[in-house]
Amino acid sequence: MEKLLLQGNEAIALGAVKAGLSFYASYPITPASEILHYLVKTNVKVVQMEDEIASINAVIGASLAGAKSMTATSGPGFSLKQEGIGLAHMIEAPLVVVDVQRVGPSTGMPTLPAQGDILQCKYGSHGDYFPIVFYPNSVSELYRYSMEAFNAAEDSLSPVILLSDGYISHLTETMVPAEIPIKPRTLPPLGALGTRHYTGLTHKGAFPKATDAEAHQEHMAHLQKKQLEVAKNYLFYEYLENKNSDTLLISFGAMSRLAYAFKDQYSLFRPIRIFPMIEELTEIAQRYRKILVLEMNAGQYLSEVERLLQRRVKLVSVLGGKINLNQVAREVQWAIETI
Amino acid sequence: MGYRDYIREERFPTSWCGGCGIGIVLKAVCQTFEEQGFTYENTTVVSGIGCSARSAGYFKLDTVHSIHGRAIPVAEGIKMANEKMNVFVFSGDGDLLGIGGNHLLHACRRNTDINIICIDNEIYGMTGGQKSPTTELHIKTLTSPKGNEDRPINVQAIIRAHDDFYARTTVYHYNHLKKCLKEAIEWKGLSFLDIKAPCISNNGRRLGFKNGYEMLIHYKDEYKIRTSDNGHLLAEKELGIVK
Ligand SMILES: Cc1ncc(C[n+]2csc(CCOP(=O)(O)OP(=O)(O)O)c2C)c(N)n1
Ligand SMILES: [Mg+2]
Repeated sequence: MEKLLLQGNEAIALGAVKAGLSFYASYPITPASEILHYLVKTNVKVVQMEDEIASINAVIGASLAGAKSMTATSGPGFSLKQEGIGLAHMIEAPLVVVDVQRVGPSTGMPTLPAQGDILQCKYGSHGDYFPIVFYPNSVSELYRYSMEAFNAAEDSLSPVILLSDGYISHLTETMVPAEIPIKPRTLPPLGALGTRHYTGLTHKGAFPKATDAEAHQEHMAHLQKKQLEVAKNYLFYEYLENKNSDTLLISFGAMSRLAYAFKDQYSLFRPIRIFPMIEELTEIAQRYRKILVLEMNAGQYLSEVERLLQRRVKLVSVLGGKINLNQVAREVQWAIETI
Repeated sequence: MGYRDYIREERFPTSWCGGCGIGIVLKAVCQTFEEQGFTYENTTVVSGIGCSARSAGYFKLDTVHSIHGRAIPVAEGIKMANEKMNVFVFSGDGDLLGIGGNHLLHACRRNTDINIICIDNEIYGMTGGQKSPTTELHIKTLTSPKGNEDRPINVQAIIRAHDDFYARTTVYHYNHLKKCLKEAIEWKGLSFLDIKAPCISNNGRRLGFKNGYEMLIHYKDEYKIRTSDNGHLLAEKELGIVK
């Protein structure tokens, strides 16, 4: 097997190309720009748009026209893309949005990693929607889940989020490229039928139903069911069981790399598909008296874990982009003692 | 194929008020599609949000009704992914020149080969009659009760600064409107059609017009078609093509 030495962002780009990416629109931002830098050197149609709003909307247009399409950004740009992401859910446009997280809110700490966009993935756009979100933790995983994100987008006809962070995306590691079957385009491109009207209004087929509660409920139920069904085929997580421990540490992305240091003391759970949440966690959690979520924010995934498990969970939070193993170890210890 | 074959008549009646100018543009565009021999296989309409933007849903084509201000980037994405498509943007003055103004600026710069049809009623019609980027000075609207203090945008200058196609017409000057559409389509690169159209409900009545017809006829006196196509910028209230 051929080994490659790649940076995380390059792995995302390469995975996307492998998955059949043919249109990419984005706006430069640290720490995501290398994806753009890489792709301009390929055969993919690449456009540097005037902002992130233009980028997501161009990607929606290209996707409807038949191109496998992607955009990438970081927190400030991810915020700008939210209305477009909502549109893509509403009209069921398959595409991939990469968000390489940095410290926020606002301009925050552009060069330092964070995990502050977890809830923005799920709730950032107005209204209800049910996104599929992957969050890998290594260069080889970025490559693989970049491809999986495209597959999931095709299966679900929805915008799939590939999360990363300034740490994972800026790692350079050797990797053996994963081989997975690539899903072909199924959505007929614009011009194929002549009968479709894509609208962000609540609708039934080509007909807007902007004042019909039943039609809205029906559309929401359809979206939710579809997303959950598709997600079942993308059941990605890592569970490292430690039979001697009554404590489970939950983490993802950059923090999950640090969490490996604790595997001899505790059990570890790492959702790679962070949304829809891994249902299996409910069953796994029953084996543990203590559950901690380690994340680089003020407790975003924690609230989702508590909602899923219907029990209190402790937070170990890292803010400001600097990850210190000893400090996290102390906080984990302290959190466990106070449960 | 007749021009009505480009319309989803099953969606009639439309959402527009009596006396609205949008339907006239719709008809002119469909007739032009027919004359050009366009089919659903090679033609699409993209819109933003607003009364004008609702047009997209009435075309019997694969169409996209996107979000407020973003029709242009959606249309550019389509065109860049499939060069063979004839891509039309159909939206209002607020949508294209207000919230979406930055996209217009950059689409001009990129010179993407799309046809932008701006239904310019000089008002935010759908939301009840607030001032828009094309509302003239001193005009009273919901949000300029003492008269508009902001100068209207000089969209001709923006388009022409990048040597793109600009035309100004009205829904009263129907033959001229169709000539503009034809030339816009034949133009390689970005074209922008500024079509003055009445919004009787949320603008005209406040201005003192009794009905939509009176407002429409008023365009006849207010606007004059330029006789020589000399390529110079159009003067105020002058209709014509600059390319
Ligand atoms: C992001 C966003 N902001 C505001 C609105 C509300 N809104 C809907 S239509 C519109 C104005 C449309 O004006 P124009 O484009 O001139 O269209 P018209 O209705 O006059 O044809 C506004 C402000 C919206 N839908 N989305
Ligand atoms: Mg208007």
